Amino acid sequence: MNPLLDIRDLCIGFDAYGQHRRVLHNVDLHVNEGERVSLIGQSGSGKTVTMRTIIGTLPMPPGKVEQGSIYYNGQSLLDLNKQDRNRLKGIGISIVLQDPMLSFNPVLTIGRQMDDVIRYGDLRLRNSRSRADRRTHMIETLNKVQLRDGGRVLDSYPMMLSGGMRQRVLIGMALLNKPRLLIADEPGTALDVTTQDEILALLNRLVVEEGLSLLLITHNLGVVREMADRVYVMERGHIVETGTRDEIFDAPQHAYTRELMAAVPPLYGDGVKTTEHEGTQPIVDVASVSKDFETRSGWLNRVTGSFRAVNDVSLTVQQGDIFGIAGESGSGKTTLAKIIMGLTAPTKGAVQIDGRSLDGFAGTQEFRKLIQIVYQNPGSSLNPRRTVGDQLAVPLKFTGFDKPSINRRISELLDLVELPQNYSAMYPHELSGGQKQRVAIARALSVNPKILVLDEPTSALDVLVQSTVIDLLHDLRREFDLTYIFISHDLSLMRNFCNRVAVMLRGEVVETGPVAEIFDTPGHPYTRALLSAIPVISPEEDALKPIVSKEERAAVLATSTELEDT
Amino acid sequence: MSAMNDPDAPVHGLTARQMALYRFRRNPLAVVGTLIVFSVILAAVFAPWIAPAPESAGSFVDFRNRHSPPNWDNLMGTDNVGRDVFSRVIFGYRVSLGLVVGVLGVAVPFGVILGLCAGYFGGWTETIIMRFTDIMLALPPLAMALAITAVLSPNLINAMIAITLLWWTWHTRLIYRIVKGQMNEDYVEAARVAGASHAHILFRELLPNCFSAVAVKISLDAGFVILFGAALSFLGLGVQPPTPDLGTMVATGSEYLPEMWWQAVMPGLAILYAILGFNLLGDGLRDMLDVEL
Repeated sequence: MNPLLDIRDLCIGFDAYGQHRRVLHNVDLHVNEGERVSLIGQSGSGKTVTMRTIIGTLPMPPGKVEQGSIYYNGQSLLDLNKQDRNRLKGIGISIVLQDPMLSFNPVLTIGRQMDDVIRYGDLRLRNSRSRADRRTHMIETLNKVQLRDGGRVLDSYPMMLSGGMRQRVLIGMALLNKPRLLIADEPGTALDVTTQDEILALLNRLVVEEGLSLLLITHNLGVVREMADRVYVMERGHIVETGTRDEIFDAPQHAYTRELMAAVPPLYGDGVKTTEHEGTQPIVDVASVSKDFETRSGWLNRVTGSFRAVNDVSLTVQQGDIFGIAGESGSGKTTLAKIIMGLTAPTKGAVQIDGRSLDGFAGTQEFRKLIQIVYQNPGSSLNPRRTVGDQLAVPLKFTGFDKPSINRRISELLDLVELPQNYSAMYPHELSGGQKQRVAIARALSVNPKILVLDEPTSALDVLVQSTVIDLLHDLRREFDLTYIFISHDLSLMRNFCNRVAVMLRGEVVETGPVAEIFDTPGHPYTRALLSAIPVISPEEDALKPIVSKEERAAVLATSTELEDT
Repeated sequence: MSAMNDPDAPVHGLTARQMALYRFRRNPLAVVGTLIVFSVILAAVFAPWIAPAPESAGSFVDFRNRHSPPNWDNLMGTDNVGRDVFSRVIFGYRVSLGLVVGVLGVAVPFGVILGLCAGYFGGWTETIIMRFTDIMLALPPLAMALAITAVLSPNLINAMIAITLLWWTWHTRLIYRIVKGQMNEDYVEAARVAGASHAHILFRELLPNCFSAVAVKISLDAGFVILFGAALSFLGLGVQPPTPDLGTMVATGSEYLPEMWWQAVMPGLAILYAILGFNLLGDGLRDMLDVEL
């Protein structure tokens, strides 16, 4: 049997800034009818270029197919003219893009946007359907993606739907014209882990029910394990390893695949490293802190209500702790961090750092020498127009260092975060993501603080880079006796990095305790739901995950299938 | 960790400057614009040495040679008192560029500082600065300039003051919008956490992020300032004779249209040439620095 999609010996090159660069090297990949195939690789490995070449949206120039061919159903895609190529879009091959926020036009209703897809599909197939027929078809398709209230969804604008619902609509849109091959680019990655879990289950079901073939493009090994029959591993434009899912996961052959597997922090099992620490001296004390945000709207921007982002949170962080605050988006974890940093005043409650109340203390030189923060995205937390050295100098300059001692300290700091000395004169865009985050860590450490607040410091980084940054943080903590407050949505990482964890849900801390206790015997249903939704990379881990009943889950989590009543 | 082995190193080991220069060179119009602007600046600076008849810049008369059409001795012909139009155009660029430097030299720093403050401090500072800017923008510029130069005496300095009074508003708005966007970036908060002063954040952190937009805006502005100055002079409210000014030359020359067309058209083309140069340069810079105005 011929494969449905067959890529043979594909080489793609780019011309940029007068230089030629080959980004895909002799890629061979095929997808059989009804098969689920995953293409896995880190950012910049060429997986998106591959996808765009298949669907024909790679800009050429600067891109150029130098060699090779792509066959869909026996037809050579690269030899088709533009019109015939377009005819396959949405009908033969359909695609689900990564970001459900960016994939919609915000000013048109969902119905209008889906209708366009059907009408263009019909035009290509030379069908014609009435408006009512199209609407029935849309509602049926929405039912397939488990959106029961199809009519209301169609009349909504994208911003009225939750992220999970938008992702579902996006999948529905891809199915409208009954394609045979579905390409999914990092589906659900932009969503919370519990929603991602629902989306992956949905895709798996659709493949069976609709008889689809799936090409899944992702960087997440856990997702691959749940979603693939066969796997291709891509590294810098080369397919370095391919095999069935079990072959790849049980006995990876290529060094790169093994490296990738090793870098994924295990959630359960023998591989888990537990950070042991029993602090005795409280250093951060959060006492029943609440924070309300006013919502304003209407005429003259009046206050129309308030929204409680943090609700009655109490925490104690001991000296030397790596204290994890876990939660999904909107759980209030970043607001809590800002309150601890003295950047936002709590509406109620009080925070004490090193035994001192924040009132009148936050923002002083002494306070800055005590607590500093590392932000999530170093692309935003570093000023693009200032050199690394300039940025490292800022905290020093405002803490009373003189010029020669600033320079000495900058060179010390670069050594600490294992960056070469000449990086001092570089601008952020000349550095890689991991290097930028190292600079941000160096800046936070510059005035020798005792506490570091780490706001998702590795979530913008690839997993291989993440592990090196985490190692660095471990080393620094040992060397300087630091206390970390680690904010993250990545529970696998927390299991291996933190010694204590607090789990937040809608502004409240639902559970807190030593890391092994929380993970091994989670008490709150939300913690259990969260843990059970994490895609893991071995059956052992899967077996150890808590089992959550539907009712339990429904009690704590909003589903992504129902519209909220407003 | 060397740059080559790093798994997530930037793709093409070029610095931003190299990439920008590459984009600029690939844009032929930008290169043409740069050459034009360069030639205008050269003409203005070295006018007495370049002009074939430097004496024509002043109140020189040569009635035997008046109204002579373009020829090899007078490339752009002569005017109603026999002065060489080409030489006067070259000297005219001195006045035009002087106007540009004078106006933008004051209006840009003033507008930029107000925009920075409005965007950074927010609240009442923002309300006062931005509403005042709106009021200034609501005044019809030419009428305002006419009023100012008419009340004061019409000369180059007053024309400059009039234009400056109106020009800063555009920069305030531009910078305000950029700063508002930058305020969402974590580096501003990071600087605050590091204990940086307001002055440091305004001028060391935010200002460098405005430079490319200001550079593009200045280049595009230069053309408009020349045009505006020429318009004022044309109406008799700017530079006074016998100083050679392009606007004044068009005004005087227009009395002899259409027979002796060169007296108005040549200075007009000279205005066009300079403005075209500045606009092409501005567009080129915009593509090169990748800013949106």
